[in-house]
Amino acid sequence: MPILECIDLSKRFGKTAALDNVNLSIEPGRVIGLLGPNGSGKTTLIKLANGLLTPSDGEILIDGEAPGPKSKAIVSYLPDKEYLPDWMCPKQLMDFFEDFYADFDRARAEEMLARLGLDPAQKVKQMSKGTREKVQLILVMSRRAKLYLLDEPIGGVDPATRDYILDTIIRNYNPEAAVVISTHLIADVEQVLDEVIFIQNGQILLQSDVDSIREEKGKSVDQYFREVFKC
Amino acid sequence: MLSKLLKQEFRATGRIMLPVFGALLILSVLANFSIRLLDSSAGNNTVLRILAVLVLVFFGAAIFGALIVTLWLMVTRFYRNLLKDEGYLMHTLPVSVHGLVWSKLIVSLVWFLATGLLIMLIVFLTALIQSGTNISEILAQLPSWAEVREMLASQGIRSGDITLFCAEFIALVLVGSIASSLHFYAAMSMGHMFSKDKILLSIVFFVALSFVMSLLTNLLGFRLHDLATLTVENGDVAMLLFYMRRLLLFSLGVELLQGALLYFATTLSLRRGLNLA
Repeated sequence: MPILECIDLSKRFGKTAALDNVNLSIEPGRVIGLLGPNGSGKTTLIKLANGLLTPSDGEILIDGEAPGPKSKAIVSYLPDKEYLPDWMCPKQLMDFFEDFYADFDRARAEEMLARLGLDPAQKVKQMSKGTREKVQLILVMSRRAKLYLLDEPIGGVDPATRDYILDTIIRNYNPEAAVVISTHLIADVEQVLDEVIFIQNGQILLQSDVDSIREEKGKSVDQYFREVFKC
Repeated sequence: MLSKLLKQEFRATGRIMLPVFGALLILSVLANFSIRLLDSSAGNNTVLRILAVLVLVFFGAAIFGALIVTLWLMVTRFYRNLLKDEGYLMHTLPVSVHGLVWSKLIVSLVWFLATGLLIMLIVFLTALIQSGTNISEILAQLPSWAEVREMLASQGIRSGDITLFCAEFIALVLVGSIASSLHFYAAMSMGHMFSKDKILLSIVFFVALSFVMSLLTNLLGFRLHDLATLTVENGDVAMLLFYMRRLLLFSLGVELLQGALLYFATTLSLRRGLNLA
């Protein structure tokens, strides 16, 4: 059974269609790049999968069910926002995640914090932007979820942190789980992807194996993306 | 899951409310010294006098301030935690919208009650200490429960009526407080369904909801007309109690209905119309 499935899924904001009749299926055990230019509908799709938006038409299913408390227990989501309460410190945040998520692996989170030299007692308020992003990522990747939805996880960080983030994603994810990484910075993530989905103007242009793009087109995903989305 | 949400909510609000309570207690002690100082001969010292008066002004402001902080916290916790960036965390927890809303309602209610009781206690104790009355003297002067019952019985009132009256009064305070919070929650949840002007729209919805709620009260109010024709004779305690209980029950019914409608509006907006920026 697909872990994420969209059936004739549409989302409109007023007259603008952010997603237009999307049909999509994502199987477990894969790392998938959700690739598209800014405003193509990547974040809308991820928000729908998390139940943060309600479809205008069609449906979106997580492990066969519409988003709700049950699906949220198996989805680990990294928004493209600084969403942690700024008065809390990593220690309190780990307590919080441990309380609400049965699949949270505290030892793993503590180990990653220690390896990055982050102080578990420092308030989020006092952290730099980069440190906050690292803490968010550590919390999200320390869950043993069935589906990881990572929205622009490498958007605003320096190259060293970027490498660490990708390394974390690859090393930590459970082989039974699917990881969806949304980004427009393709060259940076290409190495870790099994599969790509190209999205533009709310429509899916292509869903394909990375290997078949390389073999059939003789191009890297980045080159192919530039060709498809040529302005 | 509600207990976990409540734990988190108390942790988030306690770090603000407990220092407020602490400040209130310290200022009340200082205020008592100040009053005593102003009464004593040392009160002739100008500097001390100014200081003492300042403390009293701060004490008054702190009482008012504590109430404002409680109200402000009720509104901003809901807004920041469920409708702004923290909403990405809260709305993706494996909990229902009902759990999220009830945890906010219950914790706000607890702080409202705690603030109200603390202020009453402080004011009562200050008055008691300053009047120089011994608390045991007052207690000694109070009639015993048996005497009260006898007094009421002579007026044709059973003690059960008083118990019911108290229970209805407490219920009205609780339900009314929850309905007031829901008025804010519903307005904000509805205003935040839109992509733009979320705060402005929240205010518009608040006013619109106030209008609808007062219309509802007026529509139901005709049920009270028979009360208006009642006259309470001087000293007719039984009739007065009857009158007040009718009014209480009516208010309780109205608050329950309003609360239910506002709760429905809040949860529906959050479930179907959530639109985090």
